[in-house]
Amino acid sequence: MSEMVGKLFGWVNSRLPVSNTFERHLSKHPVPSKVNFWYLFGALASVVLIIQIVSGIWLIMPYSNTEEEAFASIEYIMRDVDYGWVIRYMHTTGASMFFAVVYLHMFRGLLYGSYQKPKELVWIFGCTIYLAMMAEGFLGYVLPYGQMSYWGAQVIISLFGAIPYIGESLELWIRGDYYISGITVSRFFALHVVALPLVLIALVFLHLVALHEVGAGNPEGVDIEEHLDDDGVPLDSVPFFPYKVLNALVGIGVFMTVFAIIMFFFPEGGGYFIEMANFEEANPLVTPEHIAPVWYYSPYYAMLRAVPDKLGGLIVMGSAVAILFVVPWLDKSKVASIRYKGIYSKVALALFGISFITLGYLGTVSVTEVRKTMSVICTVIYFAFFLLMPIYTKYEKTLEVPERL
Amino acid sequence: MIKKLSNILNIKLSKFLFGIGLLISINGMDAAEGGPCKDYGECDEFKYSLNDMASLQRGASTFLNYCYGCHSLQYSRWGRVSSDLQIPEEIFFDNLVFDKSIKPGDLMIGSMSKEQSAQWFGVAPPDLTLVSRVRGDDWIYSYLRAYYEDSSKQYGVNNLVYPGTAMPNVLMALQGNQKLVCKDVPVFAKNGGEKRDDFGNTITKEKCGYLKVDEGSGELNKEEFDSLIYDLTNFLVYVGEPAKAERERMGWYVIFYFLIFTALSALLYREYHKDYHK
Repeated sequence: MSEMVGKLFGWVNSRLPVSNTFERHLSKHPVPSKVNFWYLFGALASVVLIIQIVSGIWLIMPYSNTEEEAFASIEYIMRDVDYGWVIRYMHTTGASMFFAVVYLHMFRGLLYGSYQKPKELVWIFGCTIYLAMMAEGFLGYVLPYGQMSYWGAQVIISLFGAIPYIGESLELWIRGDYYISGITVSRFFALHVVALPLVLIALVFLHLVALHEVGAGNPEGVDIEEHLDDDGVPLDSVPFFPYKVLNALVGIGVFMTVFAIIMFFFPEGGGYFIEMANFEEANPLVTPEHIAPVWYYSPYYAMLRAVPDKLGGLIVMGSAVAILFVVPWLDKSKVASIRYKGIYSKVALALFGISFITLGYLGTVSVTEVRKTMSVICTVIYFAFFLLMPIYTKYEKTLEVPERL
Repeated sequence: MIKKLSNILNIKLSKFLFGIGLLISINGMDAAEGGPCKDYGECDEFKYSLNDMASLQRGASTFLNYCYGCHSLQYSRWGRVSSDLQIPEEIFFDNLVFDKSIKPGDLMIGSMSKEQSAQWFGVAPPDLTLVSRVRGDDWIYSYLRAYYEDSSKQYGVNNLVYPGTAMPNVLMALQGNQKLVCKDVPVFAKNGGEKRDDFGNTITKEKCGYLKVDEGSGELNKEEFDSLIYDLTNFLVYVGEPAKAERERMGWYVIFYFLIFTALSALLYREYHKDYHK
């Protein structure tokens, strides 16, 4: 029996690089031996991606993408489909958790300089994933066709209308109708379940291939390739499989516990994960009292509202995401990790973090004069962090990076 | 690992949290917005108990007798309610379902046409399947108890939680006639203590806007009426998410599973780690 399996494996292996790939990317792939919990979020993001894809497939089966039935089909899933509520809450909780781990993953990048040479492409693929996720999340939020789906889409689509000359026709092209309707829902459905997931999977693949080419980083910013053993394996490394896989498994266990607590006990997340107004069917004639995006877009929404002019707001919002792509060329520091960077970098990163979270809060509440001023200040800090980076990273005093991990 | 982390992170984290706290407190100085319960002030707190079948059954009965004439529960099915609330189907259909052509698998789509009701009331009475999820249980519990006499309105009543509400006080026969009254209330000094005059008597001042029921005007006393509204609200929480009780029950098992999973993978990781650093 085992002989037969061995023969079969040999047959496949001589036609498909199975053991080669396994060795290259898992059992012999060296990763830094000392990293901290910040290095878990990438693995967690891929776990959530799988959760989203699997729960998504099962949601497609009973969901109806028509204007008349979309909302009712969600309630059908919640009530009449066996364990439909498990699948749906898995997907809604997964959406928020996806952004939570990706935000932490990105912050890790800023913290330890994970974008520095030669990891520029890894970072750029990552930023593109984030952009695709934002589109994916927005499209998905429209599908239940509740009040917030409708009016949120109204706000976002009307932003495109602010673009000079082509704006109005662009809006029409996105909606496929003169107002948001069943046509919009069904095209968003197609994009949400087929087009963007394909893009996302392709980008994640590229993100990982590029990462495996240049090697994973570490919180010290030490280049482990500098000290190799006789076999050419970095001294400060362990094989990815099983050591890092087991390490990640512990992280996944903790993460899934948190995931389960939210999913089974706080699926609405206090109105931040599923907004209360979205339990009301879309009604083009009644505007909700207070339109707010879900929490993961709210920092950008606060920026949009901080600028009085619609086109200006759109430009600020777009630049806020676009600027992430050029970070590898803004950082002029000799060192990668925040541990060895100077005081300016530390203060800048702390201020950046505070202003981003504050913007996130401001984007969920209604506008007042004080809040508007705060949004402006935080937006300025957000951009100053990036735009001044070439200066403060170049002229600050850095510490000596050790030779070994 | 955690210790090393906290060395570099904790210090920064504390400063970080201080910064966020500072910004949010600045924001707190901004004018407060009106709460969801409007003129009523803070909504009364509601704690659902979805395992209290007697309460849910009483709530269902109140709903079907007093509310269902106008308000549908269009996403909910008759048979599901009877089985979830552990009411034997025969008793349920004999006593609570008034249209004998209804089958257990039917949706509770109501008995009034939207066009007619819109003519009668100005607006069609909304479907209430998801009202507990849109408004919240605190809101419903407060709203149904906040009607008061107001002769300037179409139905002679108004509501503190929902000023200008289009719904008449259907439960008035049970609750009695509730009015807005004025009361003498103690005046408080700046330090929070009651103000007293030279003889030690509490200084009071008249304040209005308190709800008070004319004694003996309703079939139920205050406690009985509050408990009726409690059961009704509890039923609406159930109908808003029928799987909620099961969800909270199942959650504990899932969390338990992942805790075991985490513990085992931590042990496995430690074992492999030892092996590598021999």
